[in-house]
Amino acid sequence: MESTISLKTKGKGKGSKGASSSDDKSKFDIVKEWSNWSLKKAKVATHYGFIPLIIIIGMNSDPKPNLFQLLSPV
Amino acid sequence: MAGFPPPIFTPQVDVKTKIGEKVDYSNLPCPLIYEELHREAYMSLKPELFEGFRFDYNKMVNEKFFVTHSVLMGPTEVPTQHSEVIKIPTASYDFGAIFVDPKLMLLGRVTTDGRLNARGKCDLTENFSIKGTAQLTNEEHMSQGQLTFDYKGSDYRTQLQVGNGSIYGANYIQHVTPHLSLGGEVFWIGQNRKSGVGYTARYETDKMCHQVASGQVSSNGLAVMNYVQKVTEKLSLATDFIYNYISKDVTASVGYDRMFKQSRLRGKIDSNGVVAAYLEEQLSAGLRLLLSAEVDHVKKDYKFGFGVNVS
Repeated sequence: MESTISLKTKGKGKGSKGASSSDDKSKFDIVKEWSNWSLKKAKVATHYGFIPLIIIIGMNSDPKPNLFQLLSPV
Repeated sequence: MAGFPPPIFTPQVDVKTKIGEKVDYSNLPCPLIYEELHREAYMSLKPELFEGFRFDYNKMVNEKFFVTHSVLMGPTEVPTQHSEVIKIPTASYDFGAIFVDPKLMLLGRVTTDGRLNARGKCDLTENFSIKGTAQLTNEEHMSQGQLTFDYKGSDYRTQLQVGNGSIYGANYIQHVTPHLSLGGEVFWIGQNRKSGVGYTARYETDKMCHQVASGQVSSNGLAVMNYVQKVTEKLSLATDFIYNYISKDVTASVGYDRMFKQSRLRGKIDSNGVVAAYLEEQLSAGLRLLLSAEVDHVKKDYKFGFGVNVS
C-alpha cells in the first residue's frame, strides 16, 4: 500500500513537473502567437486606416482647409 | 512611385570652415544618406520611364497637405518562367495623400487592386529620425514593411534597418575629407540565411557638385561605379558601370540631363542595347507634358509612353 502511494505521489510529482515545463513552452508559444496576432491586426489597421489618417491629419493642420477644397477638382 | 514629385530629400550639408589652407577635420560637412550616394547619377540615368498613357493630378489642399489622383493605362509586364515577358494591358487608378511638415512626413498611395504604398518619416530630434515604408497587399504573405532608425552626427550618419521576413541591416557613412566620404553596410536576410557586407565611397569636387564620382561594392556580387559631371549649369553628363562578379554580368551606360527654359530632357544609352529618353515639358503654368521612350534593340521591346501632369 505504502509503495503504491509513494509511486502514485512520485507519478503525480513527475506529472506536475512535466506540466510546468510544457507550461513554460506554451508561454513562449503564447507570446509568439499573440505577437503574430497583433502584427496581423496592425497590418489590417494600417491597410485600411493609413490614408484616412493622413487625410485627418491634413484636414486639421494649420491653414485649416474645408471639405470642399479636398473634394473639388479645382 | 511613378508620376510623383519625389519627396524632398535635402542633404543635410553644414557649412565647412577652412582655417587658412589647412583642412579643418573637426568640422567636416555631413554626408548624404547612404541610399542617396548615387543620387546625381540616378537622376540622369534612371528617369521614371513608363509605357502607355499617364495622367496625374496633384492638388494642393493646404501648404502641408496634398492629394494626388493618377490614372495609368498601358501594358504591364508579367514575368513568366520562360524568361519571356508577357504584357497585359491594364488600367489603374491611384489615389495618394501626402502630408509634409518640418518634423513629420506621411505619404500614402492606394491603387484600385487594394495595394497600399505607405511611407512615413518622423524627426524625433534634430539628429535622430525614424522612417518607415510598407507595401501592403490583400494577398497573403506578399506584404513588406521596413523600419529605419537614422542618426546624424556632425560629419557622419548611421542607420539601422529592420524589415519583415527578419531582414536586418545597418550602415554607416563618414566624411573623411571635405570631398571624400566613405561608408559601409552589413545586412542579414533571415529567410534565405544570407548575410552581406558592402562598402561605398563618394567623391565630389565642390558644393555645386560639378563632378561626383561614387562607387559601391557589396558581397552579393554587385560592384557599381558612376561618375557625373556638370558641364554647364544646364547640362550634365553621367556614366555608370555595373559589374556583377558572381554572375559575370556587365552593364555600362552613358546619359545626359539637359535643362531648357521650359523643359527637361534626359537620355541614356546602354551596353545592353537599350536607348531611353524622357522629356518633361512645361506647357503652361500647372500643365506638364511627359514623353517617355525606351527602345531595347536586342530584345526587340519598344516602350513608348505619354502623359500629362496637372498641378
